[in-house]
Amino acid sequence: MDVPRIVLGVIGADCHSVGNKILDAYFTEAGFHVVNLGVMASQDEFLDAAVESNAGAILVSSLYGHGLIDCEGLRQKAIERGLDKILLYVGGNLVVGKTPFAEIEKKFKDMGFDRVFSPHDDLTEAVKLLRQDLEDRKR
Amino acid sequence: MVMAPKLLLSVDIGSTYTKGGLFALEGEELRLVGREVVPTTVDHLGRGFTQVREAVLSRHANGGHNTNSPFSGTKVTCPALSIPVYWSSSARGGLKIAAVGLTPDLTLSVARMAATSAGGKVVRAYSYELAPEDLEDLRAVEPDIILFTGGTDGGNSRVVLHNAARLAELVSPAIILYAGNRKVRDQVVDILRGREVATAANVMPEVGTIDIEPARDIIRHVFLDSIVDGKGLSSVVAEAGREPLPTPLAVFELVRTIAERVPGWGDFAVIDMGGATTDFYSHTKSFHGGDAIILRGLLEPTLKRTVEGDLGLRVSAEALFRSEASFLEGRLREAGTDLALLKGYVEEVSRRTEYLPGDDRGRRFDRLLAAACVRAAALRHAGIFQRVFTPQGGFLVQRGKDLRQVSRLVGSGGYLAGETSPDILLEACAPGADDPDTRHLVPEAPACYADVEYLIPLLGNLAADFPGAAARAAVAGLKPLGPHTN
Ligand code: B12
Repeated sequence: MDVPRIVLGVIGADCHSVGNKILDAYFTEAGFHVVNLGVMASQDEFLDAAVESNAGAILVSSLYGHGLIDCEGLRQKAIERGLDKILLYVGGNLVVGKTPFAEIEKKFKDMGFDRVFSPHDDLTEAVKLLRQDLEDRKR
Repeated sequence: MVMAPKLLLSVDIGSTYTKGGLFALEGEELRLVGREVVPTTVDHLGRGFTQVREAVLSRHANGGHNTNSPFSGTKVTCPALSIPVYWSSSARGGLKIAAVGLTPDLTLSVARMAATSAGGKVVRAYSYELAPEDLEDLRAVEPDIILFTGGTDGGNSRVVLHNAARLAELVSPAIILYAGNRKVRDQVVDILRGREVATAANVMPEVGTIDIEPARDIIRHVFLDSIVDGKGLSSVVAEAGREPLPTPLAVFELVRTIAERVPGWGDFAVIDMGGATTDFYSHTKSFHGGDAIILRGLLEPTLKRTVEGDLGLRVSAEALFRSEASFLEGRLREAGTDLALLKGYVEEVSRRTEYLPGDDRGRRFDRLLAAACVRAAALRHAGIFQRVFTPQGGFLVQRGKDLRQVSRLVGSGGYLAGETSPDILLEACAPGADDPDTRHLVPEAPACYADVEYLIPLLGNLAADFPGAAARAAVAGLKPLGPHTN
């Protein structure tokens, strides 16, 4: 069986690199082939990497508070590029100010993200969900 | 016992001139003992080759006096038939390569890099799925090689297989070099069965990882095996007893050899400007890192060549006039000259490609066009820094190659070889755009040199067999220009 491929990176002008390195190590350890773009990755870089590597999912991080703006339009662009079935996950510090997480989560889902994570979510859970979602997409 | 020095002949068949140089190998050093230039005989390249060869050798046999004009056709029985002949050719436009990739910024961009650094000229570039009209277009440009890439190893295969099926329908004698996703290599070869196909390792095995050497190597072999014949060079192969190098590849390898062998020359660039193209070669580390600098996009190779098909003094003068219009206009305004005058000049010289200006006005216009070529070629070859503001201050994002450490700049090719001042070459250090948040990573204050004896391609031919000697002779043959240089 093929090792599932995922693209990972921190979107926009965001240079928080610590979480990105942890995610790379964690998902690699969990058996994924991780294409890591590192920090300050643009939407196009995520999509190019996913197209070339035939990735099943893109995992976007945003820590610095501009996640909503940076992620806007990613789903549409993915469709335009022929990535009709790709999974989009996002996590990090997505909440700005006192907005409840559920509200932020809804906004990202409305933008076409499949799953939205808070900094408190357990990564073992994220890995499980990703495996499941990738399986579901195959069918 | 004193041994006579060993003699070596090197010939470069260019698109306008065929140049020859006779070198003496004395111990560990090469010394130029004679050189000749004749116009390239386009109808039969072998004739010019023979002319140059005989001219150089007879002059040498006569103690440096040219009693035997290269044009007289008189045969000299030279004692030197045993002199090894090395040669290169860029005649008839050189090696035409069409690049096929998946995304424009990744595999297609790497494919271009592989093609140009193998000495080829990218005549077409296609991304994503090839369309039926692309095939028409591809047929029409008659490439020698189609460099077919796409997908990381184990990555995209859907588009790659689609393109393989399209290419299988193409009616063209071009050789297809597959250097894409390794996982479907056998399938691709199978689909293309019956065509002339070569394969090489994937140019981008992983996102962001460049591996162009294997593809470069195959392109070189393809050039030797099949291009030579089609360009009427087979008689030269017979006469020289050796296969040629594509001229840009000879230069590429010489640049590498100089950087590796000559102290103080680790970071340098060569600009070869001609009537049709401007080639820029650089050897310098691409990215230097640092705390607040982040590299985006591909990490470019230390040795890099770019070819600009719209930057040239004659055949490409009109294209140059269009693409560099605002720069040219600005300079003319400073000089109080009307743009229309330059336009007229450009129209004329692009038709009369052998034209050499006989008056001041023509010389001034040529200087201006040369400045535009050098400046644009450098800006395109070099990367950029973009400032990204955060509440903490600035971060710099680097894209492309950092040339700031390039400490020496060499001008080669007809026009730049004849320069006596560094002014034109220093146009390569122009700051470029006025956007305050973008900085072009061009050389900062390089020492400038002119390849006055056109030795660069000639010594490039010798670089594989005599690397140290060729590198030192090339540097020794350069003329320092202006006050910066020592
Ligand atoms: C260290 C740090 C910095 C360092 C970064 C150094 C570096 N090279 O990384 C510096 C000083 C440069 C910095 C700068 C800034 N920072 Co700062 N920084 C932090 C800090 C203290 C720690 C971040 C960290 O490394 N965490 C540890 C890692 C392991 O956790 P993580 O990044 O959250 O990632 C984990 C999870 O979120 C999750 N995850 C992340 N992405 C994803 C994606 C998916 C799909 C999944 C499943 C999970 C997941 O998994 C990761 C691994 O466990 C945080 C505060 C905090 N405690 O979080 C602020 C913080 C992130 N910074 C903040 C801000 C505002 C900034 C600045 C804009 C200015 C400022 N005021 O400091 C600049 C931005 C610069 C820029 N352009 O990016 C704010 C963001 C506010 C917001 N989101 O609303 C924070 C939250 C501080 C705060 N409370 O105000 N920062």
